[in-house]
Amino acid sequence: MNFPKPSVGMLPGDRIAYSPIPNRQPLKLPKGARMVVWTVTNVEEWDPTQTMPRTVLTPPAGGSPMPDIPNWCWHEYGNRVGFWRLLKVYDEFKIPGVMNINGVAARAYPELVQAAIERNWEFVGHGYTQRNMQKVENERADIRKSADVLEQATGKKPRGWLGPGLTETWETPDILAEEGYNYVADWVLDDQPVWLKTRGKPIVNIPYTQECNDVAMMLIQHHKASEFYERAMDQFEQIYKDAKDSARVMAISVHPYIMGAPHRVKYFRKIFEKIRKEKGVLFWTGEQILDWYLKVGPKPP
Amino acid sequence: MPDPMIPRERADYSAIVDRPPLKLPGNARIVFWTIVNYEVWDIGKPMARQLLPAPTGVQLMPDVVHWAFHEYGMRVGCWRFFELFKRLGIKPTLSANARICEDYERVAAQARDDDWEFMGHAYEQGPIHKEPDQAAMINRSMDILEKFTGKRPVGWLGPGLTQTLDTPELLAAAGVKYIGDWVYDDEPTMIRTAKGPLVTLPYTIELNDIPMMMVQHHESDYLLKRTIDQFDRLYAESNDRAKICALAIHPYISGQPHRIKYLEAIYDYVNKHDGVLHWNGAQIYDWYKNLAAQNLKAAE
Repeated sequence: MNFPKPSVGMLPGDRIAYSPIPNRQPLKLPKGARMVVWTVTNVEEWDPTQTMPRTVLTPPAGGSPMPDIPNWCWHEYGNRVGFWRLLKVYDEFKIPGVMNINGVAARAYPELVQAAIERNWEFVGHGYTQRNMQKVENERADIRKSADVLEQATGKKPRGWLGPGLTETWETPDILAEEGYNYVADWVLDDQPVWLKTRGKPIVNIPYTQECNDVAMMLIQHHKASEFYERAMDQFEQIYKDAKDSARVMAISVHPYIMGAPHRVKYFRKIFEKIRKEKGVLFWTGEQILDWYLKVGPKPP
Repeated sequence: MPDPMIPRERADYSAIVDRPPLKLPGNARIVFWTIVNYEVWDIGKPMARQLLPAPTGVQLMPDVVHWAFHEYGMRVGCWRFFELFKRLGIKPTLSANARICEDYERVAAQARDDDWEFMGHAYEQGPIHKEPDQAAMINRSMDILEKFTGKRPVGWLGPGLTQTLDTPELLAAAGVKYIGDWVYDDEPTMIRTAKGPLVTLPYTIELNDIPMMMVQHHESDYLLKRTIDQFDRLYAESNDRAKICALAIHPYISGQPHRIKYLEAIYDYVNKHDGVLHWNGAQIYDWYKNLAAQNLKAAE
């Protein structure tokens, strides 16, 4: 079917042709490994003068009154307390961290950035603020500023990008490629990395997750905490099986204010207790997945 | 009047791992803080929470079904709470709409006579943003509770934890010492107001039957399960630093026949542990205030 084309940017189908996964050339990981797990921690700073991106408690009789102190505090708890619990899990199981971080958050929470730097985490651009990319006044400026702030804070320009709430405009991949990002994770459409065309040079998309994601599971679907572990295990077992002949990638995505709550963190920990021991499973950052794919994957379109 | 402060101006970011640990007296390691919420839902306003969607999807007024839903808590559910806490010898914090002293005098008197701590919780239920004169409402609420109990409350919780940016000033001016609205840490903290500092106590929206039952629609036994998970983790961490585990309940939710046994089981579980104090907000506040005073002295 033909859809009307946007005046700027591209339709998804123009960036990437449909491709059934069994029809592709197998991808091989080093040393016979079957799959990669990458774990992404999302750090945000919520602007207290805007409507909160998510809420745990709705006000009596509904609506969204401003300011929203209880829900601002809920997110702040994640950065004051929850993050440090997640960090213990990463340390215990030697999981290489990936931090998706708002530009403003890198400034607001330097201790948290420092802890990640000390552990050699990868930093991924995640918008200058936690706001839908379609509502950002100047998308390019936002994307550029996100990279600049992270470079200042960490000494390294981010190579990856995840839009706040995975939001994009028709033009986002074009701008990302032009601004020097090497991969994006907004396109959750495959278990393997893929190439996206842009108006300039193509950009890689790395499989992120909406399924093993605490926002979707805990805040939208309202599952109990243990379901995060159960689902991660089910997801892992299936992807492990699928990866027999061609490598696959599994992502786990968490937020300190959700999985860092005391009653949830043990289910997060249990995941790694279980899968860290499995043979043929690599724990990588997004960058490592990218560099591997650039080496063994298909040529850019 | 100058612009009111935004939250970040009231409290700098502080990582819990960078702070010296707080110590509880004796061998105690954790405080279990129970907060009971007794409210008045005015039939002339939209009801605070809805259980049953209106047949056409549009909530009409008067909303008798949800008025009655709440009223059940005050007629029946709260007596299950009174019985439980009397049996356990626990004196919880009562987050009290001041108007309960007028509309549910019988209930308020029972809480007073059982020596519960009264914490200010607005005059009646509804977002504080809609109050035409917030300062007057706060003072009036505090005055009513003071007159009824003989003691001015030291604590405050906004209805649904709601605040406007200038609420902390209005509360400090009314004599409030601690608030529960800032659920952003495991420890008490001090925030700035133009009328002197206010202490924040770690209230909870995670172990709270409104988000769990009304918003997230979990099964009745999940209150017990989540509380055990929360308590276990905080108890383990309380080896290094004092922890506070808050639990917030409402009689129209946790006072239901099918839920009360899970609430009772929470206390059975918690009380099997050594070093647990059942303190109310005023007691936590006094402990923290004394520690802060000692620290100031030590710094001099």
